[in-house]
Amino acid sequence: MTTSTVQGSPVKALIVEDTPVHAFILSTILRKFHCEITVAENGNEAVQLFLEGKKFDIIFCDKEMPVMPGPEAIEKIRALGESHVKIVGVSAGYDLEQSFMSAGADIFLPKPMKFDVVGPIIQEVMNKKNNSMV
Amino acid sequence: MEYANLRRQAASLKRSLFDQGYLDEQFCQVEDLQDEASPNFAEEVVSLFFKDSARLVANIEQAMEKYPGDFNRWDAHMQQLKGSCFSIGASKMSNECTSFRNSCAEENAEGCRRSFQKVKREHAILRQKLESYFQLLRQAGPARTATRSGGK
Repeated sequence: MTTSTVQGSPVKALIVEDTPVHAFILSTILRKFHCEITVAENGNEAVQLFLEGKKFDIIFCDKEMPVMPGPEAIEKIRALGESHVKIVGVSAGYDLEQSFMSAGADIFLPKPMKFDVVGPIIQEVMNKKNNSMV
Repeated sequence: MEYANLRRQAASLKRSLFDQGYLDEQFCQVEDLQDEASPNFAEEVVSLFFKDSARLVANIEQAMEKYPGDFNRWDAHMQQLKGSCFSIGASKMSNECTSFRNSCAEENAEGCRRSFQKVKREHAILRQKLESYFQLLRQAGPARTATRSGGK
């Protein structure tokens, strides 16, 4: 896996995932791209972070989680006016894509996640962030 | 060289894990994330998997005892375990998790119990095999490049 040269402030990534192993693996991948990482264990925790005024550039969100599932959390986050944050829905089963996209996700990645697809997504977010700072 | 022999044994064990369906491509993806900064990453992930999966198996067992016939609850717990299996490519275990979930969908308690026994069995087997694999790798030590023996 190749990583690009980091310019500007790091991408702030929120991982919304109740499976510790998934969260650990994705965190490791994102660290290779020098992302600042926050992990929420369910959709409700994710929404609370936004209500506390936290800002993120990208969210990786699982679907089935205790307390609040992913699509519901995405709907609530978008309803808070967070239109700029890139939201990636992540779940097993291609038939779950629609529920993520209807909720306001930008991309759907099926599990098991192919790690080499994460890099271009982060690079795109990084480029957009750096361009907006110019 | 002992190192080479141990590496060969580890590679052979890994191949058999794939050939026998215990692991799939996802495990290779995990190993590919290993680098100089995280030389034991795969073992750390697997260790985390078995710590978490042991907890999830205990949760399922408890749910089946305390909430008989609550297939939705049983299914929710098993879904978490299945998700965890996906993350390291534990395909045989994942398949048994699917069988359990199918039994839940059919509200087949006996089917769930049988599947759950298989899940636990596959969990134990995979744990033992992966422990052996990583033990071989630890004994072999870090990968070394070939060096020319010194001469006069």
